Amino acid sequence: MGGQSIYQNELDNLEQSKEFLKRNDYSQMELQLEFKKLVEHYEELVDQVKIITKISDRLQKKLNKTNDALESSNNQLAELNNQLNETIDQLTEAKIGRRASTIVLFIAIGLFVISEVLLEPIIDDVFKDNAFVGLALKLVVAILIKPGEDFANKYMLKQARKKQMKEQEEKRADKKVDKKVKKKRKIL
Amino acid sequence: MDNLIIEGTRQTPEINFDVESGILKLEGRSIPENTFEFFTPVLNWLDAYVNSSPDKIVAKINLEYFNTSSSKYILEILKKLKVFKVEGTEVLVEWYYEEDDEEMMETGEDYEDVSGLPFEIISFEEE
Repeated sequence: MGGQSIYQNELDNLEQSKEFLKRNDYSQMELQLEFKKLVEHYEELVDQVKIITKISDRLQKKLNKTNDALESSNNQLAELNNQLNETIDQLTEAKIGRRASTIVLFIAIGLFVISEVLLEPIIDDVFKDNAFVGLALKLVVAILIKPGEDFANKYMLKQARKKQMKEQEEKRADKKVDKKVKKKRKIL
Repeated sequence: MDNLIIEGTRQTPEINFDVESGILKLEGRSIPENTFEFFTPVLNWLDAYVNSSPDKIVAKINLEYFNTSSSKYILEILKKLKVFKVEGTEVLVEWYYEEDDEEMMETGEDYEDVSGLPFEIISFEEE
């Protein structure tokens, strides 16, 4: 640190006393004066150390308190974030469920129309005496609505989760790039 | 003699020492990377200001946080203010702290004890 120390005065005082000690020609009076000076400096230094240590410890306590408060806020934020994610998941599931129901309903209507317009005349021709065949076909379509809806729901959820994961990965990658750029800027 | 004005940063306090009014403001956070470099001009300014023999000095210290080496320099500033008092200047130190900041209040009390200067320890509400 040389000439640029926060303890410059104290170092100067010490140096002066050392220089005095190097001399061998001091009188009793000079020795007494120098010793008095040294004791005064020492006393001042002890007072300084006492006060600075006390204040430093207290401010460390303040810092610890602030850190604890920050940690607690972070935990609360993480908890809220989890709750938010859960709610978003539930909303996404509900949204996808509704969309799947709509799609399956339209497919069922389509199949019903196809069976009525295209299949019914063929069935009537082939199974003239059996009216139950057409009915059975419609029943099959009706029975397939629920499993169809479940399948569509699961498929769409899977796709949505894949999309979500991809977006999160992209965000993480962006953050990494941002950090690297900031680091580079700091270095420059 | 010019006023001493140093803008505050995230690491250094704002300094506004006014020659005319004798109001010396020290506000903010004091955690400079190099405390020697930051505080030396402040101490030099005070050394020069003694020659102006002002009638009254009010030091308004409002620090949110400071590091150990800054605490030494605050002590040095108070010592310099003691010189003004010895020279006949009326000196008052106003030590500000946020109302729930017990540590900063007690720190002000410690500085009051060690400096032997008249202190007013003033609390203010958090913004």
